[in-house]
Amino acid sequence: MDKNIDAAVGMTRKWDAREAGREVARDAIKQLKSPPNFFVLFSTIHYKEHGGFEEFLNGVWDVLPKRTPLVGGTVAGFMNNFGSFTRGATALAISDTNIDIFIGSGKNSKRSPKRAARKCADTIKNGFKKSGYRNKFVLNLVSGPETMKIPGQGYKKVVDSGFMSRFVSLAFGMSQYLIQKGPGREDELFEEIVKELPDCKMMLGTTMDDYKWIDNYQFLNDQVLTNSVLSVGLATDYKFDVCTTHGMRETDIKFKITKLSRDGHIIQKINNKPALHELQRLLNWPDGFINEKTMAHTILYYPISLKRHGRQVPAVMPTFLKDSILTPCIVDTGDVSILTVSGKNLVQAVRDNLSYFKNIEPEFGLFSSCMTILQTLGNNINIVHQEISNYFKEKPFVMFFCAGEGTYSPENKITYANMSFNTTIFGYQN
Amino acid sequence: MEYKISGDVDRMKDDPIAKVLDDLLKLDDILACMVARQNMISVMPSDGTDGFNPEVNQVWDIIHRAMDDVFNVIHEYSQTGLAEMEFSLQDYEVLFYVFHETDNALVAIIPALSNKGLIEVEMENARREIQDILNEQEQIRLAVV
Repeated sequence: MDKNIDAAVGMTRKWDAREAGREVARDAIKQLKSPPNFFVLFSTIHYKEHGGFEEFLNGVWDVLPKRTPLVGGTVAGFMNNFGSFTRGATALAISDTNIDIFIGSGKNSKRSPKRAARKCADTIKNGFKKSGYRNKFVLNLVSGPETMKIPGQGYKKVVDSGFMSRFVSLAFGMSQYLIQKGPGREDELFEEIVKELPDCKMMLGTTMDDYKWIDNYQFLNDQVLTNSVLSVGLATDYKFDVCTTHGMRETDIKFKITKLSRDGHIIQKINNKPALHELQRLLNWPDGFINEKTMAHTILYYPISLKRHGRQVPAVMPTFLKDSILTPCIVDTGDVSILTVSGKNLVQAVRDNLSYFKNIEPEFGLFSSCMTILQTLGNNINIVHQEISNYFKEKPFVMFFCAGEGTYSPENKITYANMSFNTTIFGYQN
Repeated sequence: MEYKISGDVDRMKDDPIAKVLDDLLKLDDILACMVARQNMISVMPSDGTDGFNPEVNQVWDIIHRAMDDVFNVIHEYSQTGLAEMEFSLQDYEVLFYVFHETDNALVAIIPALSNKGLIEVEMENARREIQDILNEQEQIRLAVV
C-alpha cells in the first residue's frame, strides 16, 4: 500500500450557490493526484437563499467527475485546514484505490428512525461482504432536530405560556410523526445501526441550519434530501480509530427524574416537582431566570448527565416549556447530575481527544462536534482550530458542527453526547 | 455629535475592506457594520448606509453616542491587549473587534437574541481579512517611502 492517502480539503466563501458549488469541488479536486472516489460535502444553510441547494449541487457536479459517490449536508459551521467558518462550504475529497466505499440511505428518519437505520445498514452490510478489506468504518449523517412553530409565537426555545406548553407537549409526538418536526431521533437511529453493524467503528453527526432549528438538508449524489439518514461504509486496510471527548465536569448538584413523557423526550417532574421550577431552585436561580435572553449565557454551560440503557448521556437542555424540559434524546427516569462546562475544559477536551490517536500517524481526519460549542466559544473556536492544526499540520481535516453526535467502537461501545468532539482519524500505525 | 465619514463614499466601492464589510452585511443578523474609530467611520460597505437594515436608523443616534464612549475605552486600552468589546442597548447589541494595537475597530450592530457565537466566528474572519489588507497597504506605503 502507498504510504500516502490521497485526500484534500476544498472550500468556498462565495455567496452564489452555483459558483460556490463549483469552487468547493474545484478547490478539493485540484489537489488530488487522480479523480476522487469519495466526496464529503458540508455547507452552511445560506445557499438556500442564494440560489438554492439544487443549484449548489449542480455547481459541484459541473466539476466533480460523474458517479463520484457524494454525501453531506447542511451544518451550523465547519472547521478545516483554512480556519473556522459559519458561512460557506467545505469538502473532503479522497482518491484512493485501497478504500471501498458503500452508501446507504433511509427516508423519514424522524417518523421511523429504526426502519431508516435498518435500510442504511442493509446496504452497508451487503457492500462490506463484497470487500476484501478488514477494517470497517461507517459515517452516519442524520437529519437533525427541527423546532415546531408555535401558533402566534413563532420559533421559541422557552415557552412560558402554560397553555402553549401543554399544546406543545400534546402535539409533540404527533408533529414528529405527521410533519417530522421535533428532535432528530439520531440517538435511536444510531442504536439501531450499531445493533445491525456491531463490528464496525462509527461516527455520527446531524445536519443542521444556523442554530435556528428551522430546517436542514442532506446531500446524496445530486439529490437534496430532508428527514433522511445517509450512511457511508468505508472498508480499508488503513489504520483508523474513533474517539469522543467532552469537557463536562460533574457538579455536586444531583436530582431524580420522577416523571417523563411517554416518548421519553420531555422531563415533566424532577424530585416530584415541576421540572423547570425545581431545576432553577437547584441551581439557585430565581424562577424565570431561564428565558430566551439569558439562555445562551446560562443553561448552555450547565448540561445534565442523563441516562439511557445504563449509559451516561451528557446533554444540553435546548427547549423549555413552562414546567417541563425537552431533551434532545430519549432518556430514562432516575438519578441525574448537573454538569458544568467552561471554554477551558472544551479546549482540554480537544487535547485529550487528539492524544487518544498517538498510535496513528494521521493522513486525514473527520470530526463531528456540537454546534453549542461553536455558540459558546464564538470566535475563541480558533483556539480549538490551532490545537487541531498543530496535530494535522499539512494533512487535511474537516470538522462539522451539528446537534447530536457520537461515536461507536466495539471496544468503547456507543458514546452519544452533546457538547462533544467526535473524531475519526485515518492513517498509519506509528 | 455627528459621526464623520472619512473620504469619498463613492471611492469606498473599490476599497477591498468595503468588500469584506459587504460580505459581513449579507449575513441575516448583521444589521450594520463598519470600520470605525472615535467620531469617525473609516470604511463603510459599498452601498454606504443604504446597505444597512433600515431598523437601525431608529436607534442610530443613541447607538453612535454609546459607540463614542466605547471608543474612549478602546483608545485607552488597545495598546494593552484589548481585543473585543460589546454592549447591549434596547433591542440591539453592538460588537467591537479591535484591530491590533490601534484605535480602530470592526463594528457590527446585531439584534439582541441573535446567535452571537456563530456571528462572532465570522466577525473574527472579517477582522483577520481586514487586518491582512491593512498590513498589505502598510507594506506598500513603506515601500514607497
